[in-house]
Amino acid sequence: MRAFNRYILFLVLAAFAVNTTIAFTSPNDLSVYFAVNVITFLVITVLHAYLNPRARRSLSAIGIVLFGGFLVIVILKAMEVLSN
Amino acid sequence: MIGFTCVALANARPYISPEASELILKTGMENISALLEELGVRNKAIYLPSSLREGRPQALIPLTGTPDVAHIRSKIPGRLVVRYGDGPGDMALAVTTPGSINLEQLETKPGPNATDIEAAVTYVLTGLLDLANSVTVNITETEVRVEVSGPRLHYEDIWYYRCLGSPIASIVATIACEALGKPLRIAEEEYNRGKNNIRLEVLS
Repeated sequence: MRAFNRYILFLVLAAFAVNTTIAFTSPNDLSVYFAVNVITFLVITVLHAYLNPRARRSLSAIGIVLFGGFLVIVILKAMEVLSN
Repeated sequence: MIGFTCVALANARPYISPEASELILKTGMENISALLEELGVRNKAIYLPSSLREGRPQALIPLTGTPDVAHIRSKIPGRLVVRYGDGPGDMALAVTTPGSINLEQLETKPGPNATDIEAAVTYVLTGLLDLANSVTVNITETEVRVEVSGPRLHYEDIWYYRCLGSPIASIVATIACEALGKPLRIAEEEYNRGKNNIRLEVLS
């Protein structure tokens, strides 16, 4: 199996497993879905370190955007906790 | 998220189609094969690190006999037909191999140990070229043994491969010789049960 195919397959399987698990545990919180999916994406991307440089650059750009979104969620949650 | 990833990966594919790449590879191989065949050269190539060549690692195909590595001059000129020693018959063809060019794409030069060589070969064969699934490297004083799992280019009994080895073995040999800083030769190459076993002889 090619490196790209393996990476996509791992990502799809992980997303399926994670989203199914969250759906059975805390189905009403959209931020949990987003945060856990971002972490899954980052972990799987790090584990596939041997992709070619152009692919890694593109994936890093996506990772930065997603991580930015993750930080926004964390900040909002922190502000929510502090204001209570 | 998966959609964005797919788009990013699709854009990361090379601009040249695989068919065009294969065409260029085969043209180059056939030209070198014709040259070797015309000269009647059957000797196995010696892979030299960049410290012995001007700038990039290359393969030296001796025109007569098997050269004694001790006789190889400290620096061989960057030409096609080169004199590597002081003897009248110490002539060879110096050719650039696929590994010579790949080596420039490595971020750091691998160190002279099995871990570094394995990481570099895995990066090139699995990540950059997508030519294999995984690579294992073992080193002793006199040889380097490399096991390439799931290779997508196999050894063929053709003139080019007999002299320079298969493209995979050639890439492995170039990276290993650059890492060790010593000349080496592809001593043996066999394909068995989806694995390419390459034995490199370290010449010093």
